[in-house]
Amino acid sequence: MPQMIACFKWVVDEAYIRVGASGDLDMNAVDYKISDYDKNALEEAARIREQAGGSVTAVTVGVPEATKGVKDALSRGAEKAFFIQDPSFRDLDPSQTARILAAVIQSRIPYDLILCGEGSSDLYARQVGPQLAELLGIPCLSFVQKLTVEGDRVVAERRTDEGQEVCTAPMPVLVTVLPDINTPRIPSVRDTLMASKKEVVPVRKEDLPDISSPFLETVSMKGTSLKRSGTRFTEDPGDVKAFVDTLLQKGVLK
Amino acid sequence: MDFKLTEEQELIRKNMREFTEKHVDPIAVEIDETSRHPEELFKKLAEGGWMGIPVPVEYGGSGSDYLTHIVAVDELARSCASTGFTVSIHVGIACMLVLLFGTEDQKKKFLVPMARGEKLGAFVLTEPGAGTDVMAATSTAVKDGNDYVLNGTKTFTSNGPTGDVYFVFAWTDKAAGRKGMSTFIIPRGTPGMEVGTHFKKMGLRSSQTSEMVFRNCRIPKENLLGKEGAGLLMAMTGFDHGRTGIAAQSTGILQAALDESIRYSKERVQFGQPISRQQAIAWMIADMATDLQAARFLTYHAAWMKDQGKPFSKEASMAKLFTSEAAMRHTIKAVQIHGGYGYVKGAKVERLLRDAKITEIYEGTSEAQRMVISGNVLR
Repeated sequence: MPQMIACFKWVVDEAYIRVGASGDLDMNAVDYKISDYDKNALEEAARIREQAGGSVTAVTVGVPEATKGVKDALSRGAEKAFFIQDPSFRDLDPSQTARILAAVIQSRIPYDLILCGEGSSDLYARQVGPQLAELLGIPCLSFVQKLTVEGDRVVAERRTDEGQEVCTAPMPVLVTVLPDINTPRIPSVRDTLMASKKEVVPVRKEDLPDISSPFLETVSMKGTSLKRSGTRFTEDPGDVKAFVDTLLQKGVLK
Repeated sequence: MDFKLTEEQELIRKNMREFTEKHVDPIAVEIDETSRHPEELFKKLAEGGWMGIPVPVEYGGSGSDYLTHIVAVDELARSCASTGFTVSIHVGIACMLVLLFGTEDQKKKFLVPMARGEKLGAFVLTEPGAGTDVMAATSTAVKDGNDYVLNGTKTFTSNGPTGDVYFVFAWTDKAAGRKGMSTFIIPRGTPGMEVGTHFKKMGLRSSQTSEMVFRNCRIPKENLLGKEGAGLLMAMTGFDHGRTGIAAQSTGILQAALDESIRYSKERVQFGQPISRQQAIAWMIADMATDLQAARFLTYHAAWMKDQGKPFSKEASMAKLFTSEAAMRHTIKAVQIHGGYGYVKGAKVERLLRDAKITEIYEGTSEAQRMVISGNVLR
């Protein structure tokens, strides 16, 4: 019966970002959400618990206003949450997030299996999972699209550039999940209402060891836009050739 | 003053949004065209606890408040007005009537399966000759030993063909006037009760509507809801809740009209630029967005009044009057913005326009709402 931790990040919902003419991002009217793949991590933990038993603790690092995100996570099957919060935690770099998580998990949360999303929907650096495993000194299985717990080991199907591979690791272990691993549930009304009654352990900056300065500095952030050329091709053989030539010319095909 | 929904309400709205994108949007056109009641969808709504949001957990509900139910109906109707309405009348009228007026036994027997979404409720008041003029009803229920014997014809019964639990209004003492009507809970299949075929309607087509005929329909006295003679009061209380639901449904329709108009007007290029840059179109959208905001405030305020335990007949009528007329006004504009593309079957705005019309008619016409409102303010 694995004791599980599912890590999640409360991110800007990109659907609400407005991109100005010069690519500037208007975040004035944004809403927030649990990062997409972290929902898969939470779902996978809930799914394993429903099949194999155990427990699920949700953990997040963020700003104190992220209480809605904590409730959202608790409505998705976690029994308890650790909410590591500080106003300065809005723009942490992945190494800082991993160090904060490692400090709290090591000292306060027993675990056999840690689940993280492959990357966050906002910055998608894909760093926190592997760095956290390294700091905790446990194996890391990344890009996992299928996961089973067998006794004191996990069996994971990983998707790599070369294809798929199946590997196993002893617990404790950290797994980062791909979106294909499951379909996150839509919490029932009751799940959402009960979430507020579950235990949330607040952890503040003062409770943490010194988190050193970031390795990354964000200089600016701009929106990109996709310009379409508007060229049309028909099923005419001449057009098919023109289509292939265009792809070759643009470097899509080599 | 606080205009904020709670975090739970915001999450519930978001979850309903996701639910509609996944389960309702893909079938909305089909169930409108075929006039089909999507049984499979209602199973999923039941599983999610959407069929009894304000009903306490001990009676099978989700144990939340009325505003939360209204927020869910608003979001659901944004995707499909028919589905939003079916949930609204089931929860807002059927469930609320038993919750407010039922005995403990009636709550266990009827409310629990309704709030769990296993059984669907229907409100059976309107008669061929008695619409806005409820007192013109002719259905009667005559006491006979431990039973009542019901006779009469009802029409435009929403959830008639698909209902499991019917709330039927009939005179027990016509001479007593406003204190002479009573409400009966009649389960589907009761001998003497006949459900007519589903009407073919202009809009709201997947919501099932029919005539109902009662011929010497024998009902045990345990199925009398509340006290004998309290029927009219219960109908009015039901309307307060139901009208707030129609206001939410109209708000959802209006929101959808705005969503579609914004999306299309930014895509559609005429005279070398998106039509959203034409003032004629931009101002239509400005008016639409403004009325939507007002619609939502009026609607949520009526539900909030209910949750505060205050009388909310006037607020419910105002919300329904304003939102339904705004929905009608702006769905016409939404079709106009879409031009020919909006007049074609399968275009969402075409369905929105047809669905909007009924909101000015049922659960009290706009004229009936003005009677309630003027009666309140001229008192």
